[in-house]
Amino acid sequence: MSRPRAASSVLRRVWPNALATVLTLVFVFPVYWMFATAFKPTGDIISEDPVWFPVDFTFEHFRTAVTADNFWTLVRNSVTVTVLAVLFSLVIGLLASFALARMRFRGRRGFIVAFMLAQMAPWEVMVIAIYLIVRDADMLNSLIPLTVFYMMMVLPFTLLTLRGFVGAIPKDLEESAMVDGCSRPQAFVKVILPLLAPGLMSTSLFGFITAWNEFPMVLILNKQAEAQTLPLWISKFQTVFGDDWGATMAASSLFAIPILLLFLFLQRKAVSGLTAGAVKG
Amino acid sequence: MTVQSARARTTALAPYLLLLPALAATLLLLGWPLVKNGLLSFQNLNMRQLIQHLTEWNGLDNYAEVLSSPDFWRVTVRSVLFTGANVVLIMILGTLVGLLLARLGKRMRLTLLIGLVLAWAMPPIAAVTVYKWLFAQRFGVVNWVLDRLGFHSMADHNWLATQFSTFAVVTLLIVWQSIPFVAINLYAATTTIPKELYEAAALDGAGAWKSFTSVTVPFLRPFLYATTFLEIIWVFKAFTQVFAINEGGPNRLTEILPVYAYIEGFGNQHFGMGSAIALLTIVILLALTAYYLRIVLKQEEDEL
Amino acid sequence: MKRKLIAAIGAAGLVVSVAACGSDDGKDAGADGFKGQTLTLWAMDGSTPDGWTKDVKAAFEKKTGAKLKIEIQQWNGIQQKLTTALSEESPPDVFEIGNTQTPAYAQTGGLAELDDLKKSIGADWTESLNKASVFDGKQYAAPWFAANRVVVYNKKVFKEAGVTEIPKTRAELFKAFDRIEAETDAEPIYMPGQNWYFFDGLTIGTGADLVKKKGDKWVSNLADPKVGEAMEIYQKYASYSTAPKDKDEATPQQAEVFAKGKTGAFIGMGWEAATAIKANPEIEKHIGYFTIPGETADKPEGVFLGGSNLAVAAGSEQQELAKEFLKIALSDKFEGQLSKELGVIPNKESLQHNLKGQPAGEAAAAAVASGGTTPLIPEWAAVENPPNPIKTYMTAVLNGKSHAAAAKQVEGEFNKRLAQKQ
Repeated sequence: MSRPRAASSVLRRVWPNALATVLTLVFVFPVYWMFATAFKPTGDIISEDPVWFPVDFTFEHFRTAVTADNFWTLVRNSVTVTVLAVLFSLVIGLLASFALARMRFRGRRGFIVAFMLAQMAPWEVMVIAIYLIVRDADMLNSLIPLTVFYMMMVLPFTLLTLRGFVGAIPKDLEESAMVDGCSRPQAFVKVILPLLAPGLMSTSLFGFITAWNEFPMVLILNKQAEAQTLPLWISKFQTVFGDDWGATMAASSLFAIPILLLFLFLQRKAVSGLTAGAVKG
Repeated sequence: MTVQSARARTTALAPYLLLLPALAATLLLLGWPLVKNGLLSFQNLNMRQLIQHLTEWNGLDNYAEVLSSPDFWRVTVRSVLFTGANVVLIMILGTLVGLLLARLGKRMRLTLLIGLVLAWAMPPIAAVTVYKWLFAQRFGVVNWVLDRLGFHSMADHNWLATQFSTFAVVTLLIVWQSIPFVAINLYAATTTIPKELYEAAALDGAGAWKSFTSVTVPFLRPFLYATTFLEIIWVFKAFTQVFAINEGGPNRLTEILPVYAYIEGFGNQHFGMGSAIALLTIVILLALTAYYLRIVLKQEEDEL
Repeated sequence: MKRKLIAAIGAAGLVVSVAACGSDDGKDAGADGFKGQTLTLWAMDGSTPDGWTKDVKAAFEKKTGAKLKIEIQQWNGIQQKLTTALSEESPPDVFEIGNTQTPAYAQTGGLAELDDLKKSIGADWTESLNKASVFDGKQYAAPWFAANRVVVYNKKVFKEAGVTEIPKTRAELFKAFDRIEAETDAEPIYMPGQNWYFFDGLTIGTGADLVKKKGDKWVSNLADPKVGEAMEIYQKYASYSTAPKDKDEATPQQAEVFAKGKTGAFIGMGWEAATAIKANPEIEKHIGYFTIPGETADKPEGVFLGGSNLAVAAGSEQQELAKEFLKIALSDKFEGQLSKELGVIPNKESLQHNLKGQPAGEAAAAAVASGGTTPLIPEWAAVENPPNPIKTYMTAVLNGKSHAAAAKQVEGEFNKRLAQKQ
């Protein structure tokens, strides 16, 4: 295919790439700057001229961050709470989404709208009500309330998105499985679940971010260091006596790494299906 | 009772059984706190009452005070405008980036995708911290770059000094982190558009623009509606970003509703008042999304 | 479950003691019956140096047989954390609390009354430090230590500018700054627009009151010309700096700016020097301290005495043990040791000799007599919650508003906070 005007053709081919390059830089730079700052000695951080690359590489800030009291306990707590919250919401959400996407029953619309409303709950400002409930139930300083409330924070999104995924799977697949002698639950496990994998992954990403980041609730629910999570640890390095930017960035980096890795790992599989879910809404 | 009818009954019950865990969780973990929050909103609950476990009912006082406060209405209007501006930017830019992704070659697409994913995956707490650092008045990279580019007055510019520029930074942060979600999903959605549709459009003599408006847009419409709905909710509730960047400052001028509720209720330890604001916040968010919820109700009627 | 049982007994004890109008006859066993118990202390980050911690723990254990558990608290969200903790069935037994916050917590009923402790060990507590612990004529906390700001300066920069004498008056200090500005390329002083505790010191110096009583209500007194006078002094300081006008000394951390060696001085706590040294070890040999000079050479500038008190939770099940701890922690021995290790001002004047050889501490101690606090009313705590209207006022003035106009601008918010229901 030849075009009469070569210059314009080159331009046509170049601009998307040029634009994409610029955009990539825009999106990556803050992330890069976080990691770069974390590796720079304090003198290079507080600097009149920015030091673009951490030439005097140092692990000092990471050491500060990691040697903070109870660091590993907090890591364990964060991982436990986040993983459990996401798993529970996936299981519960999947059951419900199957009903909402596949079955006809009275009140179906009402349920859907109810979960959409649930998605709007402003958790940060409900913290004190939750605190009083947990306090009066004698469940403070426990990971259980955190887990279940984080689960609830992500459940509506999980459920509604999964409903889209389930709905996008052709019904005949399931029916043909049932013709082959599978019961409905069997058809679900054997046929639908594998097809849902991308959907489960993409919704779990959202859950991970939400639960991993939560701060106001854990701050007042769990005052014992043994029951706290990582967001409290990050705030350690920003005190009224000033911010330790190096340590803060090192802590932020460490905090971000699991999520970044998870995204890079799950993203490609997740994306292919996410649309299917989102399109349906 | 025949086996058949028992089976029919189970089938009839099945959806409710499947929904049961989700419903129970929602009632217990969301319904209960909401009711509790509602009760608190009718109480005078401050440090003293909280510490001594006192319950002092004060009727509608909290609501009367909030609703008669000009601050509350200012914050409400601001929240709506803030949400609107962000969502419009996110949707437009996100769509454009998504369409760009569809046009790119394989390698470039992967590069941009990774960039987008990195921004998307950045935990908000970390992202806010980095942005504060980028826009710091002294030693911030943004000012340094602007200075080098010839805008010398920006060398010591304080981004968080005025309402507008603080919002600009917050908006940049939120849009930056939200574009990936829209763009990646939109791109994925375009890949599912059946090729035949474009071919048919081409046969009808449609150009690039025509096939975009007659094939791409209609196909993506439900997706765009759903995403807009989600973005409205997320931006409206963007507590972490707005609070952490400048604590609603300068002069409380960048407080949006969740931040206002948090500062009044939690920061100043007027928990009853905070609960009242929280409930009003929910009502306003409902109003904002009512249109979409209506669509959903209608759409669900047509389906199945 | 044993813990529950103890808690239940504790709760019963609490009811009794409330019914008895705060008489705090503890439900603990005798002085030697504490074996197996654990006392929890909430101390703020940075308040408990290692040596002191080790020795106090040992002494406490030896005397009472009980264990001491120190939980270090971060500043972020501490008020919410403390308020909720005090409502729980097992609050921290003893906790560190800022002197300016003590009245607000005293009126909530969350603090145990400590009149007898004051009688037994508090006769010679420094009056200006103890004032904040007294509410409604009763003792609700014990002064632990205090700190106030000094001038931290770069000897090299001062020398380069030809300033060899330590400024003894405010005028001399400004003259020194002028010289630094003229002779060197350093910023004479780093003074962000919202170093509000320094400003509070200046208002103490000019004799201004930040609040006044109107009827039975406290209202803003920012419009007072004496406040304006203090703000003029502040403005003069700030005019020597290019620091942000709407930031406080923590963003960026002023000591880190100072560490670059391009700053003549900053006004801060003595221990901030450590931050500077961490950022740039080179700076250590150039750091010096002096008392913030006042109008005249005989009286230093007014300073805000940032004090930490120790309070006992009213809901604690170990009232007697808590008091035993206070008697140990506040003894001359450990007050002296804390003062030495932290470089902070002890709760008795007779113990100030412990600061000998610590230039920062000595510079600070010289100003204690001209020190003061923020208004000691329960309503005050709400004023300092971000966004602090006084900081707003400061930024407004520095951005060109007149004192009167700026005071008027924040008056509404200020009064609203003072009028908040308790």
